[in-house]
Amino acid sequence: MEHLGVMLTILGAALAAGFAGAGSAIGVGIAGESGAGVMTEDPGKFGLVLLLQALPGTQGIYGLLIAFFAMLKAGLIGGEPTMAITWLNGLGVLFACLPIAIAGYYSGIAQGKTSAACIQMIAKRPEETGKAVILPAMVETYAVLALLVSILLLNGIS
Amino acid sequence: MGVASVRKLELYAHNTVVDDVLADLQKLGCCEVFVSGEERDVPDSPPVVADLDDKISEARYLLRLLEPYYEDEVSSMARSFGERPELSLKDMRSLSESFDVFSEAEGVRCLERKLVEIRSDMSKTDGYLSLLSGLGDLPYPLSLISTGTEQVFGALGSIPVENLGSWKEGLTKAFKGDVELYSAPFGVKDKETYVVMVGLRSVESEAVKISSGLGFSRMDLPEDLLLSVSEERQRLLTLKESLSAGISDVEASMKRLSNELVPDVRVLSDYWNILSDRLGSAEQGDRTDNVTVLGYWVPSSEEENIKKALSPWRGFTELCFSDPGEDDDPPSLLTNPEWSLPFETLTKLYGAPTYGGPDPTPLLAPFFFLFFGMCLGDGGYGLIMVAFFMFFLKKFKKMPSGAKSFFSLFVLSGVAATLVGALTGSWMGDMVDVVPFLRFLKPLKDLPVLLIPMNDPMAFLGISLVFGIFQIFFGMAIAMRECLKKGDYMGAFADQLGWMVFLSGLLLMGASAKVPSISWLAKTVTIVGVVALVSTQGRSKDGLLQKAISGVLSLYNVTSYLGDVLSYSRLLALGLATSAIAMIINMLASLSSSIPYVGWIIAIILFLGGHLFSVAVNVLGAFVHSLRLQYVEFFSKFYAGGGRLFEPLRYNTKYVTVSEDGRER
Repeated sequence: MEHLGVMLTILGAALAAGFAGAGSAIGVGIAGESGAGVMTEDPGKFGLVLLLQALPGTQGIYGLLIAFFAMLKAGLIGGEPTMAITWLNGLGVLFACLPIAIAGYYSGIAQGKTSAACIQMIAKRPEETGKAVILPAMVETYAVLALLVSILLLNGIS
Repeated sequence: MGVASVRKLELYAHNTVVDDVLADLQKLGCCEVFVSGEERDVPDSPPVVADLDDKISEARYLLRLLEPYYEDEVSSMARSFGERPELSLKDMRSLSESFDVFSEAEGVRCLERKLVEIRSDMSKTDGYLSLLSGLGDLPYPLSLISTGTEQVFGALGSIPVENLGSWKEGLTKAFKGDVELYSAPFGVKDKETYVVMVGLRSVESEAVKISSGLGFSRMDLPEDLLLSVSEERQRLLTLKESLSAGISDVEASMKRLSNELVPDVRVLSDYWNILSDRLGSAEQGDRTDNVTVLGYWVPSSEEENIKKALSPWRGFTELCFSDPGEDDDPPSLLTNPEWSLPFETLTKLYGAPTYGGPDPTPLLAPFFFLFFGMCLGDGGYGLIMVAFFMFFLKKFKKMPSGAKSFFSLFVLSGVAATLVGALTGSWMGDMVDVVPFLRFLKPLKDLPVLLIPMNDPMAFLGISLVFGIFQIFFGMAIAMRECLKKGDYMGAFADQLGWMVFLSGLLLMGASAKVPSISWLAKTVTIVGVVALVSTQGRSKDGLLQKAISGVLSLYNVTSYLGDVLSYSRLLALGLATSAIAMIINMLASLSSSIPYVGWIIAIILFLGGHLFSVAVNVLGAFVHSLRLQYVEFFSKFYAGGGRLFEPLRYNTKYVTVSEDGRER
């Protein structure tokens, strides 16, 4: 049963890093397409476009973070496990990874679309960059909340 | 603090002195041209303005064409940070008189035309060459194909490779010796190849018809290709060489011209734009035969300065100050004390306050400082930020005020992160604990630590939410003050105070779960709040029943306040994310350091690269999210923006700094 606990933890970490990363990849991709379009007109906007393209990338980092936390819990990297490795605890870790996996995937895509639209906005109005950065951040809120829940849940498993 | 009061200035000036008066006002840089909303006939631009516009567009043309060739010692970034030559208007004026921008532009235009011609010849030659290389060793001179003779025709075309055999066979059968066929060599992957047939004029149409049936498509050969293939190729290659020599010639003279002209044209472009701004502002005024009337918005504090500056023209001008009227739309000039000046950028990003409204800059400054600190929450990263942005501030001393305040904002934010990092014991994550030779710092690091969020996230979450509640109440209190100022007592007491009482009641209810002795107080406060809200929130509706229903329904808004407060939990999440990412980087570095021989190199690369990446990502995240808390949770309580920033008539330059001394004439 101990093995099952470790396996479930690995599944959780894989889901967190995999889905949140996939969401970010799609999001960054969507924003990048839009950015490339803008830069064919005005290559000087590279800095601003890169900034906006990077915004949907955070979900992937949050997913990675939770995956590392999960691995630490089971002692898969660096040092002793910080929880009793039972299959129930493993299942707990798996469930705790779900918020960031799900919210990371969908919010990454949604944020990518918003970023793409905002890149179009700064193409016409570069002076409004402040507002263009805030709109994608509104979407990210829900990834942050999911990250928070995942962290708190993982923290609760001992 | 806040939005400075402005006054309307009506300036009557005799036409002989208008230009000088305007020059003085532009130098002062504190008067915004009054644009009346009314429709007005725009008179044709006087010749001097039209001439100026032509000069500006020529200057722009010159810069657009020559700047790519110009090697600037000062990078464009340094220039935008204030590394510009300093010139007086007098110097610029004398330069403008001695510089004939039209003839210079004409010269450059000639060069550009030449360049375009050579380039088009070049691409034509390249096209010929690629055609010739496809033809292989054609045994006939090209003139036979391009023009032919009276008796003989030649046809060039392409044909699918698989039809080549049947084409040759078919034509030989049909015309015997009347046509000669040639097919160029082709590669294994080629689907088509060039073929040439040469024959008697009498069979031309027949031969072409048969060939077309086999997929032959005829191509015209340009008439200037006459010699044999190899001779033509030789000729074209020589031609190409001379053309590229021509291009480098023209580019060399462009480069020489750019070194000669660009610095001057930049100065002139700025000078003419200054003049154009000045003359353009005069066009907003009304002009009679002898007098021009100009309207300006002027900060009240500058009134005396303007009177003093215009005193030399006392006999020819009349100044008339008045307060803005009901229908006017005065601009907002933000005046903030030194400490909150950097945060003005954030207010401007959202939108300027309306005239007479509150300026949120000093109100948001402490919150942004604190929240950024909590979101980044790492001493090491904070110090990196401070060092990075201080370096720029020190290097570019003449930075324009906008960039300067933005950089100072980041320095302050870095300080905040350092402070929070010290209190939470996070220096590049857990670097002090895991790097062996830094262990001696541990007692020093542990000294100021209040709370380690990683070990006690719930306590840190509580702190985040308490800050959130405090900021939301603070926002409502400001809204209440604004209502009182406007005399809207219902808005102040019923809406803002009512909600504050109700929400405090709910908070007390929460607290009474832990401290039962205050539960009576909690209940009383909540009930007072509910009664106040239910009885007032429907006041705009008709009929008692509808008033009551909207009053009760308004209580549902409590969810939005709940959402606002929970939104502050991001302070914990982002703070934790920073320390955790830093911790992971440290861990990866220390794991890889155990690899034999090269481990320490990999560890250093991982450590430096990882933390550099982490600081960039986390600073962006912390900035965006602490800004969002201001814009969405805080501003929604009392601030809408929608004003117009004060834009005085001044020296708006791109390339030079106008030095103070030296009058224009």
